[in-house]
Formats: sequence, C-alpha cells, structure tokens
Amino acid sequence: MAETRDMVQIEALEKYFGEDKERVHVLKGVSLNIPEGSLYTFLGPSGCGKTTTLRCVAGLERPDGGRISIGGQTVFASGERVYVPTNKRPIGMVFQSYAIWPHMTVAENVAYPLTIQRKSKDEIKKRVGEVLKVVGLDGLEDRPAPKLSGGQQQRVAFARALINEPKVMLLDEPLSNLDAKLRVQMRSEIKALQRRTNITTIFVTHDQAEALAISDQIAVMHGGVLIEVGAPHQLYTRPKRRFTATFLGLTNLLNGKVLEVSGDSQPGKMQTKKGVLSFIPAPGLKKDQAAVISIRPENIPLHKTQPQGLENVVDGIITEAIFMGDSYQCKVAVADDIVAVHTHPFNAVNVGDKVYLHLDPASCNGLPADDKEGVDESMLGD
Amino acid sequence: MLLYGSIRSAPIGEPGAHFTIANYVKAYADKEFYLLLLNSVYYALGTCTLTFLIGTFLAWVSERTNTPCKKLFMVMSLIPFIIPGILSTISWILLLSPKIGLINIVVKEALGLDAAPFNVYSMWGMIWAESIHLYPLVFLLMSAAFRNMDTSLEEAALTSGSSTFQTFRTVTLPLMRPAMVSVLLINFIRGIEAFEVPALIGVPAKISVFTTKIFLAIHQFPSDFGLAGAYAVTLLVISTVGVLIYGRITRKEERYATVTGKGYRPRVVDLGPWKWLTFGISSLIFMLAVILPIFVLLWSSFIPYYGVPSWELAGKMTWGNYHYILNYPLAATAFKNSFYLSVGTATLVMLLTSVIAWITVKTKLPGRAFLDTMCFIPIAMPGIVLGVSLIWVYLTIPIPIYGTIWVLLLAYMTKYIPYGIRAASASMIQINKELEEASFTAGGTWFQTFWKIILPLLMPGFTAGWIYISIIALRELSTSILLYSYNSTVLSIMAFDLWEGGQYTYVCALGVLMVLLLVTMAGIARKLGAKIGIAE
Ligand SMILES: Nc1ncnc2c1ncn2[C@@H]1O[C@H](COP(=O)(O)OP(=O)(O)O)[C@@H](O)[C@H]1O
Ligand SMILES: [Mg+2]
Repeated sequence: MAETRDMVQIEALEKYFGEDKERVHVLKGVSLNIPEGSLYTFLGPSGCGKTTTLRCVAGLERPDGGRISIGGQTVFASGERVYVPTNKRPIGMVFQSYAIWPHMTVAENVAYPLTIQRKSKDEIKKRVGEVLKVVGLDGLEDRPAPKLSGGQQQRVAFARALINEPKVMLLDEPLSNLDAKLRVQMRSEIKALQRRTNITTIFVTHDQAEALAISDQIAVMHGGVLIEVGAPHQLYTRPKRRFTATFLGLTNLLNGKVLEVSGDSQPGKMQTKKGVLSFIPAPGLKKDQAAVISIRPENIPLHKTQPQGLENVVDGIITEAIFMGDSYQCKVAVADDIVAVHTHPFNAVNVGDKVYLHLDPASCNGLPADDKEGVDESMLGD
Repeated sequence: MLLYGSIRSAPIGEPGAHFTIANYVKAYADKEFYLLLLNSVYYALGTCTLTFLIGTFLAWVSERTNTPCKKLFMVMSLIPFIIPGILSTISWILLLSPKIGLINIVVKEALGLDAAPFNVYSMWGMIWAESIHLYPLVFLLMSAAFRNMDTSLEEAALTSGSSTFQTFRTVTLPLMRPAMVSVLLINFIRGIEAFEVPALIGVPAKISVFTTKIFLAIHQFPSDFGLAGAYAVTLLVISTVGVLIYGRITRKEERYATVTGKGYRPRVVDLGPWKWLTFGISSLIFMLAVILPIFVLLWSSFIPYYGVPSWELAGKMTWGNYHYILNYPLAATAFKNSFYLSVGTATLVMLLTSVIAWITVKTKLPGRAFLDTMCFIPIAMPGIVLGVSLIWVYLTIPIPIYGTIWVLLLAYMTKYIPYGIRAASASMIQINKELEEASFTAGGTWFQTFWKIILPLLMPGFTAGWIYISIIALRELSTSILLYSYNSTVLSIMAFDLWEGGQYTYVCALGVLMVLLLVTMAGIARKLGAKIGIAE
C-alpha cells in the first residue's frame, strides 16, 4: 500500500434540504479521503446521509458548503464557486433502482455513454461486447431491458457505468433490491470486479454484514456526521466509537468510570457495577472520564465453575438460552444487568444455571460514554 | 410562454382605447342580459347534472359491478368522444326535430299521436344533445376515481359491522366527494362555454346563451365588438370562478390520492339478478348515445335527400354526397388546414408541455409553480372568448398573421396547453428520477437526456395527450368561427356553413369523413408512439 494517492477528497461537506422552517441539516461537515483503487464503503442507518454524500460526489446534489475533488480535479468548492456538472465528472454510477432505461435493449443501454459521445459504430460494438463479457452478460445484447431478471439488470447497470472507464464508480445500495441468495453472490462478484478493474469504488449500504464482507475501508456515518473510518477488521474488533461498536454487530455495553489509563493499547482499569474491570482503551480516553466497555457476545467464555487465575471474571444466572444450531444464545443476569453471551453448541447450558463469565481484557474495548448519538440503551445485550 | 400570456390576458385585462364602460351599461341594463344569464346557467347546470348521472352510472357499472358485457360498454362509452360536437348536435336534430326527427316520427306512428312527442328545439333538447356529447369525460374521470379508491377502506368499514349501504354512505361517498365535485364543476364550465349545441339548436329555438350572443354580436353587420367584449368578460368571470374552485378541489383530491393512490384492485359488487337491470340501462344508453346518432349520420350521408329510413329510400343510396363534398371548392383547403392544424397543434403543444412538465415536476427552479398556473389559465377561457380576445389583439396591434392559418394555430395552442400539461405531467411524475440521473452520470447533456431518455419514456402520456389534442383541435369550432378567413377555412367551419345552407346530407357525409380521419390519425399515433417509446 505504498504511496496511494487519494482519488476522491471530500472536505467539510455541508448540505441542507428543504426551505425555511422545514430546513434540515443533512450533512454536517463530512470530510474523508478515498484512496485510489480501493473499495470504500459508506455505512450507516438509513437516513444518515450516505446517499446524499454520494450524490454530492456525482454532482446530482449541490452541496451548501465544502469541497470535493475527484482525481485531483476540484469538482465542487463552495468558496471558489466551482461546480462541475454531473455529465462532466469522470464517474460511473449504479443506482438503487438500477435505472435501466426500459425503452432500450441491453446493448443500447450499455452503449449509451459512448453513443452520446458520437463514437463510431464499430468502436461502440467492440466496447459493448467487452464490457458485457466482464459482467457476464455476453450474448444478451439484443434483449429488451424490461425482460431481464433483477440480477441481470444490475449487471447491465454495472456495464453501463463501466464502459466509459470512469475514475470513480458510485454504487448506491446496489444489492438491496435482490433476494438474499443473489445478494451474497453479487457481493462477491462486485468485489472481484473491483479487484480486476481496480477502479476506485464508493459503495453505499446500511447492511453491516455486507460492508464488512466487501470493503477495503468503511466510513461509518450517523446523523449526517462521519463517525469513524477504518478497515473492516479494525472497526469490528477495535472500534474507537461507541456507535461503531453497537452498529457493527451485537455488543454488550457496561457503563463505568475510568480509573487509570496508560497510553494506547495498554490495559486500563475501569470502575463498573461489576467491580473493577481491565480493558483496552480507545485513543484519547482519559482518567475519570465516563466510559463504556464494549464486549461482543461471542468473545465471552462461559464457565460452569469459577475459573482460577483470570482477570475480569463476573458471575450470573442464565435467564434465557436459545439453541441456534451453530451456538447457544444466552442471556445472563449479572447483578441487575443482562449480558448476552454466545457459546459453543457442545457446551450445553440450562436456564437457572449459575455461571462465570470471563470478560477477557483483550476483548474489552473501553470507549467514551458520551458518544450516544441515538443508540438506544435497550440495544444493550440484545 | 410570455407571448401567449400577453395575448391571453392583454385584451381582457386592459380594455383599450375604444372600450368604455358604456358597453357594460348597455349589456347590464338590458333585461335580456338577465335572461341570458339565467339561460346559460340553467343550461350549464342541466348539462353537468345529466352528464354526471350518465357518466357516473356507466363508470360504476364498468368498474365496480359484474354487469354482463361491461368491457364492451367501457369501449363504447368513449365513442361519442370521437364524434365532433357539431355532428352529434346535427344527429340529434335529425333524431328529435319535431318535423323531420326520426324518433319523433317513429314514436308518433307507433302510438298514433297527433303531435311529435319530443322537441329538440327546447332547453331540455339542448341539454340532452350536449350531455350525450360531454359524458365520456365524466366516464373517464369517474372510472379513474373508482379505480384508485382503496377498497380496503371499504372493507375495513364492512368488517367493523357496517352494512353495504352504510359503508357506501359513510366511507365510499366521502372518499369520492372531491372527485365528484370536480367532475361536476368541469362539466358546468364546459356547459357554460359550449357553442355548437346553442348555435345549431338554441339559435333557431330563440334560446340564447352567452356564447351564441357573442357570436351573433360579432357576426351581425356592423359588428358590435364592444358588446361582444362585455359579454365575453362576463362569461370569462363565470368560468374563471369555476376553474379556480376546480383547481382548489383537485389539489385537495391529489392529496387524497397520495394517501390511497396505490394500484388497488377494485372490489366488484355482485349484483345478482339486478345485473340484468344495469345491463338493460347501459344498453339503452348506448342505443341512444352511440347507435342511433351514428346510424342517422351514416344513413343521411348516403341518401340523396333527407328522409326517414325506408326501403324505398334505401334503394336510392348513393355515394353522391361524398362525391359532392370531395369536389366542393373549399374541401381540399379545409381538409388540408384541419389536418395540419390538428397535427401541428398536437405536436407543438405536447413538445412544449413536456419541457414545461419536466421543469415543474423534476426541477426546483423558482417560478415553476407560476409556470404551472400559467399553463392552467387558458382552461378558464371559453373558445369564443379566446376568439374575441384574439380579434382585439389584431385590432390593436396589426400583426400580419390575422386571417391566416397561423392565428388559428396560435389560438389552438393556447387553448390546448392545459390539456397537454396535464397529460405530460401525469406521466412525468411516473418517471423515476434515477432514470434521467443515470443519463447525466453517463455523461449526457440536458438536451441529450431529454431527447433520448425522457421523451421516449414519456411516450405513453405524450401519445395519449397528442391523440386527445389532435381530436379536439380537428373539431374545434367556437374559436375558429371568429378567426377564420376564406383561405384558413377548417372542416368544422365547412360543416357549419353547409348546415346553415340546409344541405343536411352533405354535412353528414363530411362528418363521416372527419370521423374516419380522426380514427386513422389516432391509430397511427398509437403505432408510432409504441414504436418510439416503451412497447406495452
Ligand atoms: N430531496 C430531498 N429533500 C428533502 N430531504 C431529503 C431529500 N433527500 C434526502 N433527504 C433527507 O436527508 C436525509 C439523508 O438522506 P439520505 O442521504 O438519502 O440517507 P441514506 O443514508 O439513507 O442514504 C434523510 O433524513 C432524508 O429524509
Ligand atoms: Mg440511501
């Protein structure tokens, strides 16, 4: 990853919708840099501003402030009054509805970006053939577009976005209209296609599993604010923000107050209702700060007898145990809290058992507590 | 647009130099004026009530009941629409006139009556002839209202224990009310601005309404433009008030529609044996509204002199009338003018309104609401008033197009923009925004996007609007009659002149030819539209 250039740069993007009283602040100073050749995901709950950000990059929405550049060229700058219209930006876009033109055949749809540039017939034909092959639709050139299945329409949309060899591909929830099985298949195809073409790609989704599976980098958004950027593994295992921890999969949150921290990734100590617990602190966490410990249900070993010589052991009573096939999903009452624990299926558990939970300090992420941003407390251990 | 706007409002808005209050005094002081007002309102009310009853009944039958042959009724309901107003009026004269009326003669003989039972030359005769001509619109609008109604709302009432009749009263009726009121209003407006029936039946019967009074004021010698203007303004005020109320109601109706306007399947009511009653009534309506008028037109077009159908006369059937019409000195000009005008108006209006609809529906440009309103205004302007106002414009500013086919084109375009904008925006709304955005992201300019993506996707609405406009433009009479000259004669004027000259059989032949032309044009338009746009 030596010396990657940033293909897309977004600085302090601001966007409002509506007029006067109904004016809503949709993007609140979003800044991010998207490295060349990467598959970069905007992830967040619906309504958080992902699509709006993407449409600002495409030029379909005019931001109210900030700056956007693509491949080093400024396409929008509020101060300098620069605004490059959509059709002059080096982009290709796949829409949520695919936006396949129903009055054209597959080939006409795909050829459109070249047709309007008045390329020669031969060249168009050649390129269309190539691109359709890339997306696996060769042979369907003359099929009318409405006669395609959902998956095929999506491939046409991809082919049409690819044919101009854009610098950036913009994908707005491209998988959300497919059924579950096809979704998984297309997910890997998109990833493979991106690897092959090496086109910088922005992928918008609200599905955290999809984001984890596909991305090089994920930008987590919430309420028009960029929460955190990172690689999937890092975001999942070492989130820096409470919202990231709760949005990416299930987690338990234990409230407390920091007693001591010493530098990054050195374990710290926190006072909680279950006693003093060790944890790995998020950068910038300070002594005496109100904080939470986030630990995922699958990272909590469950012991029937009190384990010896381990740190962070708490005891509780199993109040619920649901057999899921690949695991037991348990709820354990610890003091007056409920902790969710997923255990191996061979490890038979029964409601009413007294158990000991090992909250391994390496799995405990200490995060600032003030970072609530709409996260419902009821998500705790649910 | 601004040009049209100024033409539209200028002559009415600013009276101009040779226009004083005297005309109003003359108009309003005359007690004849109040008779006129009474007649016009009576006529319009009668028309809107009768069309409403017929149209709503047929819409209900075809959308919500299991009446036999309802598909057939649906198609037949629209046939009167394609018959120009002047012809349907003539057909009713030929059917109901006390002297020559076919129905009168048949009924008189069958019942042994002394006098003719019906007289078309009466207020009710006029209302009847007008209603038969206007009810297809009610049918279309009410069918749509029945179809768009969310029947689960009714079902919810039924499951809450209310009876079928209670449900109808408490749920169906309130839900339909906005649609019903707007349909009534639009037909009131159309009744008040109607020209053909009042001119052909009302004038001989000495029953005057505003439109015919204006026509006579201009056609007398010397023309009294001032008086015509005073009447025109009065008429305009009435129809504007109607249109304003209509606009408010439909806006509300659209609000309803966004809540319930999903593609629901209408609940069909099983009428049991009553379905034969509805079948009978529907058949009777068709007999009266479609079969008889068409029969009498066709019949008259083939016989050498007008007479009641008989074997003797049938033996003399001839193509002579058609021959006469085709060799009529003005026929070629009239056919050419009408054809160019109707095709030209329909094409230009639809192109213009497609762009306007794009602006009002898809963009957030300031002033788009104003543009939308501007396009709606001409609907408040009765054809005859439009004619008067255009005459004024040319009396004040002599532009060399007066008396040419161009002034008719301009008048038609002004008149039909409201219809075009409705058709265009209705289908524009259905085009997913992403379809055009996809073109922009693919590098398309605005013009390329409009031409290659939006227009083809708009084709169904474009074609529907085009057919509608070309039909109503081809049969336009009330505006043309004030603006035509020898060289810009159109078919409806030719028919009117022939009728005035008492040449009934020739008029009928001309009418049959006009209908054939209309059907052919509509057929070709549909074919072309399907080819360019999305094949269904
Ligand atoms: N054209 C618009 N007019 C008004 N509000 C809008 C418009 N588009 C989006 N919004 C609002 O902006 C917010 C962000 O929307 P969006 O970017 O589409 O969210 P998402 O993250 O689900 O893609 C939402 O609250 C949405 O309601
Ligand atoms: Mg979205």
